[in-house]
Amino acid sequence: MGGIEESERPLKRVKVPSGGSDSLSANLSLTEPREPASGFSLRDSMAWSPSSQGDKDAIGSKGIIKRPEFIKIITRALYSLGYSKSGDQLQKESGIPLHSTVVDLFRQQVVEGKWDESVDTLHRIGLSDEYIVKSASFMILEQKFLELLKKEKIKDALSTLRNEIVPLSINVSRVHELAAYIIFPSSSAVGGPSSQDAAGSKSQSAILEKLQKLFPAAIMIPEKRLEQLVEQALDVQRDACAYHNTFDSELSLYSDHHCGTNHIPSQTLQVLQAHCDEVWFLQFSHNGKYLASSSKDRSAIIWEVKDDGEVSLKHKLTGHQREVSIVSWSPDDQQLLTCGVEESIRRWDVNSGECLHIYEKAGVGLISCGWFPGGKGVFSGMTDKSICLWDLDGRELESWKGQRTLKISDIAITDDGKRIMTMCRENAILLLDREAKCEKLIKENQMITSFSLSKDNKYLLVNLFNQEIHLWRLGGDPDVVSRYRGHKRTRFLIRSCFGGLEQAFIASGSEDSKVYVWHRDTPEPLFALPGHSGAVNCVSWSPTNPHMLASGSDDYTIRIWGLDQVKLKNRDNQKNGINHHSKGKT
Amino acid sequence: MMDVDPRQYENVAINDSDIHNIVLSYLVHNCFKETVESFISCTGMKQPADYQEDMEKRKRIFHFALEGNALKAIELTEQLANDLLEKNKDLHFDLLSLHFVKLVCSRKCTEALEFAQTKLTPFGKVQNYVEKLEDFMTLLAYEEPEKSPMFRLLSLEYRQQVADSLNRALLAHANLPSCSAMERLIQQTTVVRQCLNQELSKDPPPPFSLKDFLKS
Repeated sequence: MGGIEESERPLKRVKVPSGGSDSLSANLSLTEPREPASGFSLRDSMAWSPSSQGDKDAIGSKGIIKRPEFIKIITRALYSLGYSKSGDQLQKESGIPLHSTVVDLFRQQVVEGKWDESVDTLHRIGLSDEYIVKSASFMILEQKFLELLKKEKIKDALSTLRNEIVPLSINVSRVHELAAYIIFPSSSAVGGPSSQDAAGSKSQSAILEKLQKLFPAAIMIPEKRLEQLVEQALDVQRDACAYHNTFDSELSLYSDHHCGTNHIPSQTLQVLQAHCDEVWFLQFSHNGKYLASSSKDRSAIIWEVKDDGEVSLKHKLTGHQREVSIVSWSPDDQQLLTCGVEESIRRWDVNSGECLHIYEKAGVGLISCGWFPGGKGVFSGMTDKSICLWDLDGRELESWKGQRTLKISDIAITDDGKRIMTMCRENAILLLDREAKCEKLIKENQMITSFSLSKDNKYLLVNLFNQEIHLWRLGGDPDVVSRYRGHKRTRFLIRSCFGGLEQAFIASGSEDSKVYVWHRDTPEPLFALPGHSGAVNCVSWSPTNPHMLASGSDDYTIRIWGLDQVKLKNRDNQKNGINHHSKGKT
Repeated sequence: MMDVDPRQYENVAINDSDIHNIVLSYLVHNCFKETVESFISCTGMKQPADYQEDMEKRKRIFHFALEGNALKAIELTEQLANDLLEKNKDLHFDLLSLHFVKLVCSRKCTEALEFAQTKLTPFGKVQNYVEKLEDFMTLLAYEEPEKSPMFRLLSLEYRQQVADSLNRALLAHANLPSCSAMERLIQQTTVVRQCLNQELSKDPPPPFSLKDFLKS
């Protein structure tokens, strides 16, 4: 009989039922075969697909996609998207039902709340895993139990619990909870009968969804399977994109994603002329809305970055008597610290441009500055080789003495405030762990000129005297993971920074007036950007816009770099076919 | 194991009447009525007259509770000390739960359910009782409650526990100590010994064994 045959077959791939696109054919398995058994069994007739179905079972250029599976996933997606008429139509037209008849019946019974019938049907589906059958039965009977409680048929509910649910011997803690509901029907927000609208169709489909997750995918196609496959494809494209520097929101399904180098800022969009001497330091604010620059001209400038990317001058901060070597943004970007070389630190309000406080120490010059995480304090390195931590009003909170070098002004602190990094000796950086009160050293065999900490606090970028930039991975034992060369540095202090999407890129200034850009994984630069007419001292990449880079130079200007629009347009015009993607990166 | 020099014990003088009181408190606590009578007459101690009656009543209540006849125990308790159960909600709950358990064991599930609904749910205002109640209700879910995860609630040990609590509450109500002197003494000795062991040796000391001590 058809019914027995259906359940004996392993349900890996439901064959196309014979008889064409009629839903009647779907019922063939449960009733006596209509056509006389003339030589071939029902099984054979179901395996044979009439020509109206198409003669290929596999589709796609590589022949690895099975037609029935493909159609079913699309059908499922149609229903998920709310196009049930289209879903029905597709099942008819293709002759490939989404579920076998038994499963359809089961689903229908669940949706209609026919619990006992659905448990029977469940057993007829022919699942090989006992545990799934039990879990599904449990879920259904739990609903029956809760419904009975809601209708105040307590004895029936108790009998369901005792005679149907408990013998399943699974999920004992849930049984415990259910027993409690008998006398506390309103207890617990989740799962109690009063919290569920037992009669509502919303809860029926919720049950169906929960049941769905129990079943093997071949029996009940999981929801959103098509969406999942598409997302996987996008992930693969993104991972294979060597110089990936675009936000996920810009990924498109129409053609394979491939950034190339076109998504790295490489063209001067703006030249900012406002300083009257060499520009020594640059930094974007955390929210990417401002840029701060400091100069040998003893001033610092706060620039505003508008939504369209245009940068304009907001405030010029004057008052320092010495060159300003460093600026530092407060964690909330409302305040800025500037450091005059071997002089003092000033704290400014970003909105008004006012100087709020001056930090000084008698007899000692300050050479570096930074914010304490949380914005509650300010720290600074000094000419007497110590580091000092103040609260906002200038009261000294902590100070550390030790071997610190005079000249280098770089200092960094991790976001949790636990570790401080500072120069100590010409070729070593000290990692001071404030909590554990221990120190680690990063030693180079060359003099270190500057360093910067990555946003995730896991890496340190170190600029060396010999024109190399080293990437150190911090952690148990810090070690060098990458080296970059190409830029020029002979006499001056050149800075580099992390940038781009997930800080996958490194940018650096150079004495040959160019801005150098590397991808983290390659030692050779991707770009050497000309434009400045003097050594480029410092760079800063916007933390929120991976396509905006700023550089400051001895030519007194700041350049804002962005995407090369011409190249981008050309590329887009070419993208109208299938991109056969070669694997891996260059 | 470092120990106190046993010769020091010899220096402690012990009063006979102290010992008599200790023994008597033990006998009274456990309602050994006849033994109490003969002990008092042998030692010539003086005790108030109504001691015997109260002991007799307490003994009956204790045994009803131990058997699981909680309703009778409750009835008699209310006669003997009528606000005792009101003041000891935990105890009241535990006694009622004994009756519930009895119904479950005799497979009278409907009755058990009704009893729970009427008598036990009023306690449900307090979270503590809610959890206990849930445990009891689980017994109803199983055809054979002995096989349920909560089978402990059906055991003699549990009944003993409840009966003991009831006994102590009754003693307290009559302004008698709820712990017999003997118990207290043994507890104290054990604790003091453990402390001493810990002080004297750095390693985790072996737990104090009363048996071994008494033999030595």
